[in-house]
Amino acid sequence: MGGMLARRAGFSLLSLLLVSACLFLLTRAIPDSPGRIVLGQDATEDQVAQFERDHGLDRSVGVQYARWVSGIVLHGDLGRSFITGRSVGDEIAKTLPVTFELVVVAFVFACVFSLAAGTASALLRDTVVDYGVRLVAVLGVSVPGFWLALILIMAFAVDREWFPPGGFTPLSAGFLAHLDSIVLPTFCLGIFYMAVLSRMTRSSLLDVLGQDYMRTARATGLARWRVLIYALRNALVPVVTIAGMSFGYMFGWALIIEAVFNINGLSRALLTAIQQRDFALVQGVVMVFTFVFILANLAADIANAWLNPRIAMAAA
Amino acid sequence: MTDQDLLRVEGLHVGFRAGDQMRDVVRGVDLRVKPGEVVGLVGESGSGKSITALAVMRLLPPGAAITSGRVTFRGRDLMEANNSEMNRLRGGEIGMIFQDPLTALNPALPIGRQLGDAIRAHQSVSWRQAQTRAEELLALVGIPFPKERLRAYPHELSGGMRQRVMIALAVSSNPSLLIADEPTTALDVTVQAQVMELIDRIRNEFGIAVLFISHNLELVAEIADRVTVMYAGRVVESGGVETLFATPNHPYTRQLIRCVPRLDGGRGAMPTIPGLPPRIGSLPSGCPFAPRCEVAEPRCSAEDPPMRWRGEQMAACFLAAS
Amino acid sequence: MMARVISACGGTGGFIGACLMFLLIVDALAAPWVAPFDPLKVDMLNALSPPDAAHLFGTDQNGRDVLSRVIWGGRASLEVSALAVLIGGCGGVGLGLLAGFFSGGWLEQSLMRVLDAMASIPLLIWAIALVGILGVGSVHIAGFTFGNEVKLLALLGVLYIPTLARITYTTALGEAGANYVAARRLQGVSGLRIMLSDVLPNCLSPVIVQATLLLAIGIVIEASVSFVGLGVQPPWPSWGNMLADARNYLFSGEWWLSVFPGACISLSVVAINLLGDGLRDALDPRHSTSALTA
Repeated sequence: MGGMLARRAGFSLLSLLLVSACLFLLTRAIPDSPGRIVLGQDATEDQVAQFERDHGLDRSVGVQYARWVSGIVLHGDLGRSFITGRSVGDEIAKTLPVTFELVVVAFVFACVFSLAAGTASALLRDTVVDYGVRLVAVLGVSVPGFWLALILIMAFAVDREWFPPGGFTPLSAGFLAHLDSIVLPTFCLGIFYMAVLSRMTRSSLLDVLGQDYMRTARATGLARWRVLIYALRNALVPVVTIAGMSFGYMFGWALIIEAVFNINGLSRALLTAIQQRDFALVQGVVMVFTFVFILANLAADIANAWLNPRIAMAAA
Repeated sequence: MTDQDLLRVEGLHVGFRAGDQMRDVVRGVDLRVKPGEVVGLVGESGSGKSITALAVMRLLPPGAAITSGRVTFRGRDLMEANNSEMNRLRGGEIGMIFQDPLTALNPALPIGRQLGDAIRAHQSVSWRQAQTRAEELLALVGIPFPKERLRAYPHELSGGMRQRVMIALAVSSNPSLLIADEPTTALDVTVQAQVMELIDRIRNEFGIAVLFISHNLELVAEIADRVTVMYAGRVVESGGVETLFATPNHPYTRQLIRCVPRLDGGRGAMPTIPGLPPRIGSLPSGCPFAPRCEVAEPRCSAEDPPMRWRGEQMAACFLAAS
Repeated sequence: MMARVISACGGTGGFIGACLMFLLIVDALAAPWVAPFDPLKVDMLNALSPPDAAHLFGTDQNGRDVLSRVIWGGRASLEVSALAVLIGGCGGVGLGLLAGFFSGGWLEQSLMRVLDAMASIPLLIWAIALVGILGVGSVHIAGFTFGNEVKLLALLGVLYIPTLARITYTTALGEAGANYVAARRLQGVSGLRIMLSDVLPNCLSPVIVQATLLLAIGIVIEASVSFVGLGVQPPWPSWGNMLADARNYLFSGEWWLSVFPGACISLSVVAINLLGDGLRDALDPRHSTSALTA
């Protein structure tokens, strides 16, 4: 099993390289050179050329890429922004924790609730609980998070002032205030995946409950909670896979949620970078996102291997 | 029926929900198992024998329910039992093994874990003690290298070994009754013999009563003390194994026995019973076997046949000798 | 007859979804004739007026009729997501079919590697980043001018290819080994013919189901990307950029600016999901585990 994981990890690394190369090529392929963008339309050709020499942009794309990669691998250095001159790594480090916290909280919320709801829905099939969960799931999947955010802000932050309408209060300013500021964003971020995962949990669990080995478990006289665990060990495998992917995707949607709530997370960095045509930063941020996505999927694979070693062996 | 009976089933009706109604697939079954004896329950697929067993264990699939009748175990009415009482019985006093060992064991857990959980569900022992007991059980059912095997997953074992593990699971808490639902049907003939031998050995060593369910007459003849024959949800004949096979009193039993190939039988086409068993939706009135019976009379389809007794043997047929 | 249509859609849910989808398509195609007002017409005197008889959905900060803008916005959303699915479908089905049918070759191997690599990309991030890098602005091709959203739909289409290719590939792989294919080969029919006339139809049903999911996701992605200003450019309306404007008016109580565009997004997604679920039941009774994710 360790061999299989090593292979997956190696493969993911390859994907990461491929993706980064793609991105690199694209940023170098657009007609406007970075020098022109930074110095503006009025700068002379010489000034642009000098700028390019200063930033190593006059070398061939291959060489630039190699330098960038070696920078990351050897020094952990994601390069320097052409526009601001600041280190890309620093910029990311400033804003990543905020986004990370939002996503983690939303993810935990989504997982916990979807597990409970999906399980209840499957066990209490065709009852009010089941219908209720399924209705909420359909709505959760269809209502876009950022619109829900606007509605909730209007309802709770403007009319009733239960929650702040935006901004991010850091932990240092007080635990309750911090919590207050993240309730709405994390709810809006997590609701979609809560819906998706609860549907998956329900259908997977229903599938498993009908299997022969569940009948054996009951025939052995196991306590009801243990029978449920027996079922979940099998039913959760596809759910864990999707959950891993969801974590990565959530990072993407956090972008939009941060925009609605005016939160200074990674998305703010990305959108500002795009506005300023700061490609080094764009590149760095996208690489971080991709890296997180790949890591989350690997983590899901590991979790599955623990949960149900047979699947892990079969997939190898 | 004496008070010594371990298991007593009286007038059991089990139905499946079809739309708004309940359609009975088991229609008035009487059964009894005394301590230490082996009762064979024989019938074609769809005769209701497996459902009867599941009803006893209260493990009916969703949509099925006991519509009437009584099931008593050691004098206790199982219809009155709540879930925790049933859980104590299941795996504790009544063990059950199923047909397909491949799908009957949880693929996600090693067998040592499954055995350990089963043991600790009924006995208050530590995990380590449970694992030791599990190892003993594996040795008992004839699995080589039991200590290493505890860590194995079901898919790493052969079909025969899996069935042995199932048996170990079912007898792990010293039940007084073992219900075996077609335990050898999914296995090769050679492995079949080994598993039959194992069941016999367990029965002899521990005095466990066995309700052996099968459509295979020969296996039942080998192992059972008494036999009950079911057709289309009803008991058509029951009695001691030797008398039943020597002098079957019901046309169905007679035709069944005739169908079993014998070494000393002549050559030529093998006899079969013409026709098919009735579907649940279209159960005929009167005797369910009448449409396929060689000696059926008009009254067989008009009224339900009576139960005719000849000593210990019962046959539900107008034409049975009493 | 009604019963036949309902069962073709896979049940009542599917039927409702199909009806709503139909409305959406009509809206998209007939926008110029259905919209009561010019969506770009500025009328500052009537700015920010609540819904009334003349303006059913009210007016926005520039006095433009919200209902008309919503109708035109629907057109933009559907255009982007439908065309993206089309691109992804053609590319994905084509590649998947070739890889699955002529399996064992270099095409299959390289395709699988590329697909795996592309699968590690979170869709929304890439859509935003790539559109951002390319820059915001109209696109000029062959003398025609297209809006900025064309970049988005092209990118989405390309990003959809892996999922659709994978589904086609898996089905085609299974079908290629089937007996009827071998029989056709023995008849002397060329591989290409078999692939197109026999294997392709069988691959279509799972692809159609996945395509409806991608259609739904596409609408939300277009709205999101327009929301952050990288999609449909003002003054042209998109449900997303209308919500971006509405954000400035959350505190002043002009609720109609946020409610209507967002409700339309939700309704469209519900419709497509209902239709997709219905189609899945109608075309392929076995449930696949393809979840709704982006």
